[in-house]
Amino acid sequence: MNRLTVGLVDYGVGNLTSVTHALHDAGFRVRLAGDSTVLDACDVLLLPGVGAFPSAMKKLRDTGLDVYLRNAAKTNRPLLGICLGMQLLAEESFEMGHSKGLGILAGKVIPLRDTPWHIGWNSLKCTMSDSALHSSHGEFFYFNHSFALDGASEHVSAVTHVPGPVTAAVRHGRIAGLQFHPEKSQRAGTSLLRTLIQDIAHA
Amino acid sequence: MLKKRLVGVVTVRHGWAVQSFGYNRHLPIGRPECLVENLDRWGADEILVQAIDRSKGEMGPDFDMLARVGKLGLETPLIYAGGIATEEHATRAIQLGADRICVDYALHHATDEVRKMSARLGAQAIIGAVPINFSQGLRRLDYVTQQERPFGDVIPGLISQRVISELVLIDWKHDGGETHLTPEQLDPLPIPQVPLILFGGFSDPTTTRRFYQHPAVAAVAVGNLFTYREHAYQMYKREVESDLIRPAAYVGASTSKEF
Repeated sequence: MNRLTVGLVDYGVGNLTSVTHALHDAGFRVRLAGDSTVLDACDVLLLPGVGAFPSAMKKLRDTGLDVYLRNAAKTNRPLLGICLGMQLLAEESFEMGHSKGLGILAGKVIPLRDTPWHIGWNSLKCTMSDSALHSSHGEFFYFNHSFALDGASEHVSAVTHVPGPVTAAVRHGRIAGLQFHPEKSQRAGTSLLRTLIQDIAHA
Repeated sequence: MLKKRLVGVVTVRHGWAVQSFGYNRHLPIGRPECLVENLDRWGADEILVQAIDRSKGEMGPDFDMLARVGKLGLETPLIYAGGIATEEHATRAIQLGADRICVDYALHHATDEVRKMSARLGAQAIIGAVPINFSQGLRRLDYVTQQERPFGDVIPGLISQRVISELVLIDWKHDGGETHLTPEQLDPLPIPQVPLILFGGFSDPTTTRRFYQHPAVAAVAVGNLFTYREHAYQMYKREVESDLIRPAAYVGASTSKEF
Protein backbone atom coordinates (compact mmCIF):
# COMPACT_ATOMS: atom_id res chain seq x y z
CA MET A 1 0.00 0.00 0.00
CA ASN A 2 1.31 3.47 -0.86
CA ARG A 3 2.21 5.67 2.09
CA LEU A 4 -0.08 8.63 2.45
CA THR A 5 1.38 12.12 2.28
CA VAL A 6 0.18 14.56 4.91
CA GLY A 7 0.37 18.24 4.02
CA LEU A 8 1.21 20.07 7.24
CA VAL A 9 -0.20 23.56 6.75
CA ASP A 10 2.50 26.06 7.68
CA TYR A 11 1.15 29.52 8.44
CA GLY A 12 3.93 30.61 10.76
CA VAL A 13 2.71 29.55 14.17
CA GLY A 14 4.59 27.32 16.52
CA ASN A 15 7.13 24.62 16.09
CA LEU A 16 6.00 21.80 13.87
CA THR A 17 8.91 19.45 14.56
CA SER A 18 6.93 17.34 17.02
CA VAL A 19 3.94 17.05 14.67
CA THR A 20 6.27 16.08 11.81
CA HIS A 21 8.01 13.55 14.03
CA ALA A 22 4.71 12.02 15.18
CA LEU A 23 3.42 11.76 11.61
CA HIS A 24 6.62 10.04 10.50
CA ASP A 25 6.32 7.66 13.44
CA ALA A 26 2.75 6.94 12.39
CA GLY A 27 4.01 5.93 8.96
CA PHE A 28 3.17 8.97 6.83
CA ARG A 29 5.16 11.13 4.48
CA VAL A 30 5.06 14.79 5.50
CA ARG A 31 5.19 17.95 3.41
CA LEU A 32 5.44 21.13 5.46
CA ALA A 33 4.11 23.93 3.28
CA GLY A 34 2.14 27.12 3.05
CA ASP A 35 2.14 26.90 -0.70
CA SER A 36 -1.02 25.67 -2.43
CA THR A 37 0.86 23.83 -5.17
CA VAL A 38 2.65 21.66 -2.61
CA LEU A 39 -0.49 21.17 -0.51
CA ASP A 40 -2.49 20.21 -3.62
CA ALA A 41 -0.21 17.22 -4.08
CA CYS A 42 -0.87 15.87 -0.56
CA ASP A 43 -3.41 13.19 0.36
CA VAL A 44 -4.47 14.70 3.68
CA LEU A 45 -4.22 18.25 5.05
CA LEU A 46 -3.33 18.83 8.70
CA LEU A 47 -3.96 22.24 10.26
CA PRO A 48 -1.95 22.70 13.48
CA GLY A 49 -2.36 25.63 15.83
CA VAL A 50 -0.69 27.37 18.71
CA GLY A 51 -1.62 30.62 20.39
CA ALA A 52 -4.74 32.73 20.34
CA PHE A 53 -7.57 32.38 17.82
CA PRO A 54 -7.60 35.96 16.42
CA SER A 55 -3.89 36.08 15.58
CA ALA A 56 -3.99 32.60 14.01
CA MET A 57 -6.99 33.54 11.83
CA LYS A 58 -5.21 36.72 10.79
CA LYS A 59 -2.20 34.69 9.68
CA LEU A 60 -4.42 32.36 7.66
CA ARG A 61 -6.08 35.35 6.00
CA ASP A 62 -2.76 37.12 5.36
CA THR A 63 -1.39 34.05 3.61
CA GLY A 64 -4.59 33.27 1.68
CA LEU A 65 -4.70 29.86 3.33
CA ASP A 66 -8.20 30.59 4.69
CA VAL A 67 -9.59 30.50 1.15
CA TYR A 68 -7.50 27.47 0.29
CA LEU A 69 -8.76 25.49 3.28
CA ARG A 70 -12.41 26.41 2.69
CA ASN A 71 -12.07 25.25 -0.92
CA ALA A 72 -10.36 22.06 0.22
CA ALA A 73 -13.32 21.29 2.49
CA LYS A 74 -15.84 22.10 -0.27
CA THR A 75 -14.10 19.70 -2.63
CA ASN A 76 -14.19 16.98 0.03
CA ARG A 77 -10.45 16.76 0.69
CA PRO A 78 -9.49 15.05 3.97
CA LEU A 79 -8.66 17.67 6.60
CA LEU A 80 -7.59 17.30 10.23
CA GLY A 81 -7.31 20.22 12.69
CA ILE A 82 -5.32 19.88 15.89
CA CYS A 83 -6.00 21.93 19.05
CA LEU A 84 -6.36 25.55 17.89
CA GLY A 85 -6.36 24.10 14.38
CA MET A 86 -9.63 22.34 15.23
CA GLN A 87 -11.12 25.50 16.70
CA LEU A 88 -10.21 27.46 13.55
CA LEU A 89 -12.52 25.15 11.59
CA ALA A 90 -15.52 26.58 13.48
CA GLU A 91 -17.73 29.46 12.38
CA GLU A 92 -16.71 31.87 15.10
CA SER A 93 -14.75 32.30 18.32
CA PHE A 94 -15.17 34.45 21.39
CA GLU A 95 -11.53 34.27 22.45
CA MET A 96 -10.32 37.85 23.03
CA GLY A 97 -13.47 39.34 21.55
CA HIS A 98 -15.32 38.01 18.55
CA SER A 99 -13.61 36.58 15.46
CA LYS A 100 -14.88 34.74 12.43
CA GLY A 101 -13.42 31.30 11.85
CA LEU A 102 -13.07 29.24 8.69
CA GLY A 103 -16.71 28.14 8.91
CA ILE A 104 -15.91 24.59 7.83
CA LEU A 105 -17.64 23.09 10.88
CA ALA A 106 -20.83 24.35 12.48
CA GLY A 107 -20.31 25.80 15.94
CA LYS A 108 -18.57 28.41 17.99
CA VAL A 109 -15.51 28.47 20.23
CA ILE A 110 -16.35 29.52 23.77
CA PRO A 111 -14.62 29.54 27.17
CA LEU A 112 -14.61 26.29 29.12
CA ARG A 113 -17.60 26.18 31.45
CA ASP A 114 -16.31 24.29 34.49
CA THR A 115 -12.73 25.52 34.73
CA PRO A 116 -10.64 28.39 33.40
CA TRP A 117 -8.03 25.97 32.04
CA HIS A 118 -7.80 22.37 31.01
CA ILE A 119 -4.12 21.48 31.19
CA GLY A 120 -2.68 18.01 31.41
CA TRP A 121 -3.51 14.39 30.66
CA ASN A 122 -7.13 13.40 30.41
CA SER A 123 -8.92 10.36 29.07
CA LEU A 124 -10.97 10.17 25.89
CA LYS A 125 -14.56 8.94 25.84
CA CYS A 126 -15.55 7.91 22.37
CA THR A 127 -19.17 8.87 21.57
CA MET A 128 -19.53 7.52 18.02
CA SER A 129 -19.97 3.77 17.77
CA ASP A 130 -18.26 3.46 14.39
CA SER A 131 -15.60 6.07 15.08
CA ALA A 132 -11.99 5.66 14.03
CA LEU A 133 -11.23 6.80 17.56
CA HIS A 134 -12.78 3.72 19.08
CA SER A 135 -9.44 2.07 19.75
CA SER A 136 -8.38 5.20 21.66
CA HIS A 137 -11.33 5.06 24.06
CA GLY A 138 -9.99 5.40 27.60
CA GLU A 139 -6.50 6.39 26.53
CA PHE A 140 -4.87 9.51 28.00
CA PHE A 141 -4.04 12.52 25.83
CA TYR A 142 -2.43 15.87 26.55
CA PHE A 143 -4.78 18.85 26.62
CA ASN A 144 -3.79 22.51 26.94
CA HIS A 145 -6.62 24.95 26.31
CA SER A 146 -9.06 27.37 27.88
CA PHE A 147 -11.61 27.57 25.04
CA ALA A 148 -13.50 24.71 23.42
CA LEU A 149 -15.68 24.01 20.42
CA ASP A 150 -19.42 24.13 21.06
CA GLY A 151 -20.66 22.57 17.86
CA ALA A 152 -23.24 20.26 16.36
CA SER A 153 -23.71 17.28 18.67
CA GLU A 154 -23.84 14.85 15.72
CA HIS A 155 -20.26 15.84 14.85
CA VAL A 156 -18.85 15.15 18.31
CA SER A 157 -16.87 11.92 18.13
CA ALA A 158 -15.25 12.03 21.59
CA VAL A 159 -15.48 13.99 24.80
CA THR A 160 -13.39 14.39 27.90
CA HIS A 161 -14.52 15.46 31.35
CA VAL A 162 -13.32 18.48 33.37
CA PRO A 163 -15.62 17.43 35.17
CA GLY A 164 -18.42 18.36 32.74
CA PRO A 165 -18.09 17.06 29.18
CA VAL A 166 -15.91 18.99 26.74
CA THR A 167 -15.65 18.26 23.03
CA ALA A 168 -12.39 16.42 22.55
CA ALA A 169 -12.82 15.31 18.93
CA VAL A 170 -15.15 16.04 16.04
CA ARG A 171 -15.82 14.28 12.77
CA HIS A 172 -17.91 15.30 9.78
CA GLY A 173 -17.26 13.21 6.71
CA ARG A 174 -13.61 13.67 5.77
CA ILE A 175 -13.17 16.57 8.21
CA ALA A 176 -11.85 15.77 11.68
CA GLY A 177 -10.65 17.80 14.63
CA LEU A 178 -8.82 17.00 17.87
CA GLN A 179 -8.81 19.41 20.82
CA PHE A 180 -5.80 17.70 22.40
CA HIS A 181 -2.24 17.38 21.13
CA PRO A 182 -1.72 13.87 19.69
CA GLU A 183 1.85 14.81 18.80
CA LYS A 184 2.54 15.36 22.52
CA SER A 185 0.60 12.33 23.70
CA GLN A 186 3.33 9.74 23.21
CA ARG A 187 2.31 6.27 22.04
CA ALA A 188 -1.41 6.89 22.36
CA GLY A 189 -1.13 9.98 20.16
CA THR A 190 0.87 8.30 17.43
CA SER A 191 -1.53 5.38 17.32
CA LEU A 192 -4.55 7.67 17.09
CA LEU A 193 -2.98 9.75 14.32
CA ARG A 194 -2.24 6.61 12.32
CA THR A 195 -5.81 5.33 12.58
CA LEU A 196 -7.62 8.63 12.13
CA ILE A 197 -5.61 9.90 9.16
CA GLN A 198 -6.01 6.58 7.36
CA ASP A 199 -9.72 6.74 8.07
CA ILE A 200 -10.40 10.26 6.77
CA ALA A 201 -8.19 9.60 3.75
CA HIS A 202 -10.21 6.57 2.75
CA ALA A 203 -13.69 7.73 3.86
CA MET B 1 -10.58 12.52 34.82
CA LEU B 2 -7.81 15.06 34.52
CA LYS B 3 -4.71 13.53 36.05
CA LYS B 4 -2.20 15.27 38.24
CA ARG B 5 1.22 15.48 36.65
CA LEU B 6 4.75 14.49 37.54
CA VAL B 7 7.03 16.99 35.82
CA GLY B 8 10.62 16.04 35.05
CA VAL B 9 12.94 19.03 35.52
CA VAL B 10 16.23 19.62 33.73
CA THR B 11 18.19 22.48 35.29
CA VAL B 12 20.69 24.20 33.00
CA ARG B 13 23.53 26.51 33.98
CA HIS B 14 26.12 27.87 31.55
CA GLY B 15 24.70 25.56 28.91
CA TRP B 16 25.16 22.39 30.97
CA ALA B 17 22.59 20.35 32.81
CA VAL B 18 23.34 20.48 36.54
CA GLN B 19 22.12 19.06 39.78
CA SER B 20 21.07 21.90 42.02
CA PHE B 21 21.30 22.12 45.81
CA GLY B 22 19.69 24.94 47.77
CA TYR B 23 19.79 27.33 44.85
CA ASN B 24 23.52 27.92 45.34
CA ARG B 25 25.50 24.73 44.65
CA HIS B 26 25.48 23.14 41.22
CA LEU B 27 27.02 19.93 39.97
CA PRO B 28 27.42 19.62 36.17
CA ILE B 29 26.12 16.34 34.80
CA GLY B 30 25.98 16.59 31.01
CA ARG B 31 24.15 17.86 27.98
CA PRO B 32 20.58 19.05 28.60
CA GLU B 33 19.23 17.45 25.44
CA CYS B 34 20.39 14.01 26.61
CA LEU B 35 18.43 14.34 29.86
CA VAL B 36 15.41 15.69 28.02
CA GLU B 37 15.57 12.78 25.60
CA ASN B 38 15.58 10.33 28.52
CA LEU B 39 12.52 11.92 30.13
CA ASP B 40 10.75 11.82 26.78
CA ARG B 41 11.59 8.14 26.36
CA TRP B 42 10.45 7.38 29.89
CA GLY B 43 7.00 8.84 29.20
CA ALA B 44 7.17 11.87 31.50
CA ASP B 45 3.94 13.83 31.88
CA GLU B 46 5.72 17.09 31.14
CA ILE B 47 9.33 18.26 30.92
CA LEU B 48 10.52 21.57 32.38
CA VAL B 49 13.86 22.87 31.15
CA GLN B 50 15.01 25.77 33.30
CA ALA B 51 18.09 27.79 32.44
CA ILE B 52 18.83 29.31 35.84
CA ASP B 53 21.64 31.71 34.93
CA ARG B 54 19.82 33.68 32.23
CA SER B 55 17.79 36.27 34.17
CA LYS B 56 20.51 36.90 36.70
CA GLY B 57 23.02 37.51 33.94
CA GLU B 58 20.48 39.46 31.84
CA MET B 59 21.37 37.14 28.96
CA GLY B 60 17.85 36.51 27.67
CA PRO B 61 16.61 32.97 27.01
CA ASP B 62 19.02 30.18 26.02
CA PHE B 63 17.63 29.87 22.52
CA ASP B 64 20.57 27.78 21.24
CA MET B 65 19.90 25.11 23.85
CA LEU B 66 16.15 25.30 23.29
CA ALA B 67 16.65 24.90 19.55
CA ARG B 68 18.67 21.73 20.15
CA VAL B 69 15.93 20.39 22.42
CA GLY B 70 13.21 21.43 19.96
CA LYS B 71 14.88 19.51 17.15
CA LEU B 72 14.46 16.28 19.11
CA GLY B 73 10.80 16.24 18.06
CA LEU B 74 9.64 15.43 21.57
CA GLU B 75 6.49 13.42 22.19
CA THR B 76 6.21 15.00 25.63
CA PRO B 77 4.97 18.52 26.43
CA LEU B 78 7.88 20.91 27.02
CA ILE B 79 8.00 23.93 29.34
CA TYR B 80 10.89 26.37 29.00
CA ALA B 81 12.03 28.73 31.77
CA GLY B 82 14.96 31.12 31.94
CA GLY B 83 15.58 34.69 30.84
CA ILE B 84 12.18 35.30 29.28
CA ALA B 85 11.47 39.00 29.73
CA THR B 86 9.60 40.10 26.60
CA GLU B 87 6.72 39.03 24.40
CA GLU B 88 9.26 38.39 21.61
CA HIS B 89 11.28 36.09 23.87
CA ALA B 90 8.17 34.09 24.71
CA THR B 91 7.04 33.82 21.11
CA ARG B 92 10.49 32.74 19.96
CA ALA B 93 10.62 30.07 22.70
CA ILE B 94 7.32 28.64 21.45
CA GLN B 95 8.53 28.75 17.85
CA LEU B 96 11.63 26.78 18.87
CA GLY B 97 9.60 23.98 20.43
CA ALA B 98 8.33 24.94 23.89
CA ASP B 99 4.66 24.25 24.47
CA ARG B 100 4.53 26.58 27.43
CA ILE B 101 6.87 29.08 29.03
CA CYS B 102 7.55 29.81 32.66
CA VAL B 103 8.38 33.30 33.96
CA ASP B 104 9.73 34.37 37.34
CA TYR B 105 11.83 37.55 37.23
CA ALA B 106 9.59 39.07 34.53
CA LEU B 107 6.51 38.73 36.75
CA HIS B 108 7.86 41.52 38.94
CA HIS B 109 10.14 43.45 36.58
CA ALA B 110 8.31 43.25 33.23
CA THR B 111 4.71 42.70 34.26
CA ASP B 112 3.23 44.39 31.19
CA GLU B 113 5.33 42.15 28.95
CA VAL B 114 3.91 39.10 30.73
CA ARG B 115 0.41 40.41 29.93
CA LYS B 116 1.42 40.77 26.27
CA MET B 117 2.81 37.21 26.24
CA SER B 118 -0.49 35.95 27.57
CA ALA B 119 -2.55 37.92 25.05
CA ARG B 120 -0.46 36.61 22.16
CA LEU B 121 0.08 33.00 23.17
CA GLY B 122 -2.92 32.37 25.38
CA ALA B 123 -2.76 32.23 29.18
CA GLN B 124 -2.66 28.43 29.08
CA ALA B 125 0.88 28.81 27.71
CA ILE B 126 2.07 31.07 30.54
CA ILE B 127 3.20 29.74 33.92
CA GLY B 128 4.41 31.89 36.79
CA ALA B 129 7.17 30.71 39.11
CA VAL B 130 8.13 31.93 42.56
CA PRO B 131 10.69 30.69 45.09
CA ILE B 132 8.96 30.83 48.46
CA ASN B 133 9.60 30.46 52.14
CA PHE B 134 7.00 30.05 54.88
CA SER B 135 9.29 30.75 57.83
CA GLN B 136 7.87 34.24 58.50
CA GLY B 137 4.58 34.01 56.65
CA LEU B 138 4.61 33.56 52.91
CA ARG B 139 7.65 35.32 51.46
CA ARG B 140 9.28 35.16 48.07
CA LEU B 141 12.94 35.11 47.07
CA ASP B 142 14.19 37.55 44.47
CA TYR B 143 16.85 35.19 43.20
CA VAL B 144 18.69 37.89 41.26
CA THR B 145 19.37 39.89 44.42
CA GLN B 146 19.09 36.80 46.67
CA GLN B 147 16.85 38.86 48.98
CA GLU B 148 13.62 37.61 50.49
CA ARG B 149 10.65 39.95 50.11
CA PRO B 150 6.98 39.98 51.06
CA PHE B 151 4.94 37.99 48.57
CA GLY B 152 3.33 41.19 47.27
CA ASP B 153 0.34 41.87 45.03
CA VAL B 154 1.78 41.35 41.56
CA ILE B 155 1.31 37.58 41.29
CA PRO B 156 -2.15 37.57 42.90
CA GLY B 157 -3.13 40.27 40.39
CA LEU B 158 -1.89 38.24 37.42
CA ILE B 159 -3.77 35.19 38.70
CA SER B 160 -7.01 37.17 39.17
CA GLN B 161 -6.70 38.65 35.68
CA ARG B 162 -6.06 35.17 34.26
CA VAL B 163 -2.74 36.21 32.75
CA ILE B 164 -1.02 33.08 34.05
CA SER B 165 -2.62 29.65 34.13
CA GLU B 166 -0.49 27.87 36.72
CA LEU B 167 1.99 28.82 39.42
CA VAL B 168 5.19 26.98 40.33
CA LEU B 169 5.88 27.26 44.04
CA ILE B 170 9.55 26.52 44.69
CA ASP B 171 10.74 25.46 48.11
CA TRP B 172 14.13 26.93 47.22
CA LYS B 173 15.82 26.37 50.57
CA HIS B 174 15.26 22.62 50.29
CA ASP B 175 16.07 22.28 46.62
CA GLY B 176 18.15 19.11 46.38
CA GLY B 177 17.00 17.86 49.79
CA GLU B 178 13.64 17.17 51.43
CA THR B 179 10.87 19.74 51.19
CA HIS B 180 9.68 21.38 54.39
CA LEU B 181 6.37 22.35 52.81
CA THR B 182 3.25 20.75 54.21
CA PRO B 183 -0.14 20.42 52.52
CA GLU B 184 -1.61 22.42 55.40
CA GLN B 185 0.47 25.46 54.39
CA LEU B 186 -1.34 25.52 51.08
CA ASP B 187 -4.73 25.68 52.71
CA PRO B 188 -5.40 28.45 52.30
CA LEU B 189 -2.65 30.34 50.50
CA PRO B 190 -3.05 34.11 50.66
CA ILE B 191 -3.43 34.26 46.88
CA PRO B 192 -6.34 33.65 44.48
CA GLN B 193 -6.99 30.04 43.46
CA VAL B 194 -4.69 28.78 40.73
CA PRO B 195 -3.40 25.30 39.87
CA LEU B 196 -0.07 24.80 41.62
CA ILE B 197 3.08 23.02 40.52
CA LEU B 198 5.29 22.24 43.51
CA PHE B 199 9.06 22.02 43.13
CA GLY B 200 12.05 21.72 45.42
CA GLY B 201 12.86 18.75 47.60
CA PHE B 202 10.20 16.28 46.43
CA SER B 203 12.56 13.34 46.57
CA ASP B 204 10.18 11.13 48.60
CA PRO B 205 7.27 9.64 46.60
CA THR B 206 5.14 9.33 49.74
CA THR B 207 5.42 13.10 50.30
CA THR B 208 4.40 13.66 46.70
CA ARG B 209 1.40 11.35 47.16
CA ARG B 210 0.22 13.45 50.12
CA PHE B 211 0.48 16.68 48.14
CA TYR B 212 -1.39 15.20 45.16
CA GLN B 213 -4.38 14.82 47.45
CA HIS B 214 -4.56 18.58 47.89
CA PRO B 215 -7.10 19.99 45.41
CA ALA B 216 -4.93 22.99 44.48
CA VAL B 217 -1.95 20.84 43.46
CA ALA B 218 -1.93 20.10 39.72
CA ALA B 219 1.62 18.80 39.53
CA VAL B 220 4.80 18.01 41.39
CA ALA B 221 8.12 18.68 39.70
CA VAL B 222 11.26 16.67 40.39
CA GLY B 223 14.77 17.29 39.08
CA ASN B 224 17.91 15.78 40.59
CA LEU B 225 16.39 12.39 41.29
CA PHE B 226 15.72 11.68 37.60
CA THR B 227 19.23 12.42 36.37
CA TYR B 228 21.25 9.39 37.40
CA ARG B 229 19.23 6.20 37.36
CA GLU B 230 17.86 4.67 34.20
CA HIS B 231 14.04 4.73 34.21
CA ALA B 232 14.06 6.66 37.51
CA TYR B 233 10.93 8.50 36.41
CA GLN B 234 8.79 5.38 36.10
CA MET B 235 10.12 3.93 39.33
CA TYR B 236 9.22 7.13 41.17
CA LYS B 237 5.71 7.12 39.66
CA ARG B 238 5.15 3.53 40.70
CA GLU B 239 6.22 4.37 44.25
CA VAL B 240 3.77 7.27 44.38
CA GLU B 241 0.99 4.66 43.98
CA SER B 242 -1.83 7.07 43.30
CA ASP B 243 -4.88 6.87 41.05
CA LEU B 244 -4.60 10.63 40.73
CA ILE B 245 -1.72 10.33 38.26
CA ARG B 246 -1.35 8.71 34.84
CA PRO B 247 0.18 5.25 35.17
CA ALA B 248 3.90 4.95 34.47
CA ALA B 249 4.53 4.05 30.86
CA TYR B 250 7.42 3.82 28.48
CA VAL B 251 7.01 5.63 25.19
CA GLY B 252 6.38 2.94 22.65
CA ALA B 253 4.80 0.62 25.20
CA SER B 254 1.14 -0.02 25.78
CA THR B 255 -0.47 2.29 28.33
CA SER B 256 -3.17 1.61 30.87
CA LYS B 257 -6.59 2.87 29.94
CA GLU B 258 -9.27 4.52 32.03
CA PHE B 259 -12.91 3.69 31.34
